[in-house]
Amino acid sequence: MIPTVAKVMWLAVWRDRGALMLAFVLPPLMFLVFAEVFSGAGDSDLEMRVALHDSAQTPLTGQIVAALAELDGIEPVAHETEPDRSDAGGLEALVRQARVDAAVWVRAEPDGNLDAEPAIVVIGDASRRLAAAIVTGRVQRLLQAEFPELGVQRAAALVDALAGPYTEQQRKALDLALSELDSAGLEEETGEDTSQDGLVAQRLLGGGRQIDDGVSYYAGAVAILFLLFAAMQGAISLIDERNSGIVDRLVAGPGGYTVVVVGKGLFLTLQGLAQAGLIFAVAWWMYGIDWPGRFGLWLVTACLAAAVSAWLGLLLASLCRTRQQAQTASAFVVLILSAIGGSMMPRFLMPGWLRELGWFTPNAWVIESWHGIFWRGNGPAELVQGWAVLLATALAAMLLSIWLAHRLAREK
Amino acid sequence: MRQVDSEPILAIEQLAFSYRDKSVLDDIELDLEPGHILALLGPNGAGKSTLIRCICGRLQPDAGRVRVAGDDPIRSRAARSAIGLVPQQVALYSHLTVTENLETFARLAGVERKAVAATVARTIEFCDLGAVAGRQAGRLSGGWQRRVNIGCAMSHSPRLLILDEPTVGIDPPAREEIERLLQRLAATGLAVLMTGHDLAQIEILADSVALLSEGRIAATGAPRGLIREFFGESHECRVSLDRPPEVGLAETLAALGLKAEDGHALHWSGVIDEDAARRLQSSLPADAPINDLRVRRPGLDTLWAQLYGSELEHAA
Repeated sequence: MIPTVAKVMWLAVWRDRGALMLAFVLPPLMFLVFAEVFSGAGDSDLEMRVALHDSAQTPLTGQIVAALAELDGIEPVAHETEPDRSDAGGLEALVRQARVDAAVWVRAEPDGNLDAEPAIVVIGDASRRLAAAIVTGRVQRLLQAEFPELGVQRAAALVDALAGPYTEQQRKALDLALSELDSAGLEEETGEDTSQDGLVAQRLLGGGRQIDDGVSYYAGAVAILFLLFAAMQGAISLIDERNSGIVDRLVAGPGGYTVVVVGKGLFLTLQGLAQAGLIFAVAWWMYGIDWPGRFGLWLVTACLAAAVSAWLGLLLASLCRTRQQAQTASAFVVLILSAIGGSMMPRFLMPGWLRELGWFTPNAWVIESWHGIFWRGNGPAELVQGWAVLLATALAAMLLSIWLAHRLAREK
Repeated sequence: MRQVDSEPILAIEQLAFSYRDKSVLDDIELDLEPGHILALLGPNGAGKSTLIRCICGRLQPDAGRVRVAGDDPIRSRAARSAIGLVPQQVALYSHLTVTENLETFARLAGVERKAVAATVARTIEFCDLGAVAGRQAGRLSGGWQRRVNIGCAMSHSPRLLILDEPTVGIDPPAREEIERLLQRLAATGLAVLMTGHDLAQIEILADSVALLSEGRIAATGAPRGLIREFFGESHECRVSLDRPPEVGLAETLAALGLKAEDGHALHWSGVIDEDAARRLQSSLPADAPINDLRVRRPGLDTLWAQLYGSELEHAA
């Protein structure tokens, strides 16, 4: 008897393609996304987009920058220094605009001068401090492995300063050792991120306000995730109405079915707006996000995020025949969009190909837009591209949904 | 006395429709006047649903034309406004109250916001829904839901009410309530087009019937007139036996015009002329193992069996 019940359950899954996908396709797909992220997070496979800039322009700094560019896990991003901006200002702008995960600024040739500012500065964004830390670690490891003489030189200078000047004989022996180190390098890494005090500094750029670094990112990430879930669930009522005969009744009348679809789109958009409002109200109240101060820009993004969610939900419901099919499809779509769009983990942790794929999700555009508003202090000019993408997606989904509704009403 | 207008509210002329090169409807001619109830009958797949979709303007006929209130329902909003459709399912928002459902469908049917309250009040009174007006539709019994289902189709005062099996799945008292409601609606001048499988109900309720068979109208007219036309003064007889008959009894039954309904020859039936019906009992041997013997005037079910070659239960 027990195997009979199990067989019935198996047949239910086997004959429901949606359930089959949810049970056996979605888990490996989600695993793939998470594995790509977290398997790379612990070693050098995690690729960071880095702007490399050499202000010193000496043979040694040239070698350092070239070695950094060749380093595994560093993807150099080409950039031009703006004439009216300092090198640091230009690099900071690139980081703030999230065009790179971090910037490495070689501002002087490293030497043994203990009073000088660190020769290499890794510029990162405080909301992505992990990226800055990873790049800093890689720079330090590179210097240790490929340019060990720099560390020893500074250590020797430190000993010289603390323990009294070296004798002439000691200085000659030190120079010889440094030159041998320079030509040989270290055969293998120590496996530890040995600090190269004084050589590399890390500079983290804060947002416009003193708020928890991840709050503005996760407020957006969570908001778009739940907007999509709620819109998909709400849109499923379209299928209930189709199956219950309500659509037949409405189609026979003068109003037609299109008004129903548009009405649902309007409601789901307003519902999404309210959901996003609640999340950001909590972020404002609890974490000090400047929601009232940036309300206008937030509202534009929120309207677009809600509209995209609503119309994608209605489009999906229009394409499905049964409630069960729509529930399965919506779970599938929302989880995948959210995983690769950055709702579940920051996109800078993802490999390059997954990061690029993320731009095909509304999540990435919505998160970037809100993060830009609250963290980077972006204005309309910087946000307009994301808004245009969201608007175009919402319009396309709306037109398709209405066309499908029209086709359903006038069967051919 | 029902109000009768000379202009038909529904006029179908030489309608033909095919799907993937297969003829679904062919040469359909139908008129329905205000105040009349027309029942569309036919087994599953006969074309009833397709015909209703053509009338509602959801399907474009290949040939012929459909006119509702004088206009093409595909192109004319006014024509579609004249239609109230009651789907076979209970097409209500189950989480809304009866009044809220009526208001919603009135607005979606194009009733002006200011006129909604009066329209809803009128519908509640006419359909006798006052007792459940404040209750959620999903919590009503099947009979009440069917009445609300009809009320929602009435909210915009249509001239043609189309009902797809309005009494399916409800008990006899609730069915009678629906019958009375439909008769009251027709009495106001509303044209009613309905489908159904309860032939006894339709025989009483409908002014005329149209029997569809393989996409064509096999017979149309008033129920009693049609039955008379097909069977004249003949009677329908049915004999049930306790055990399979001896050869002699079987020959007698066959000679009377009855046929065995099954392989065991326990049930015999047929439409036989008045004389044969009169001498049926005396023609049978006294020791014949008769369990039941019935003689009655043919009904729509007899006509159905004649046209479709099977009992209603099987066809439905």
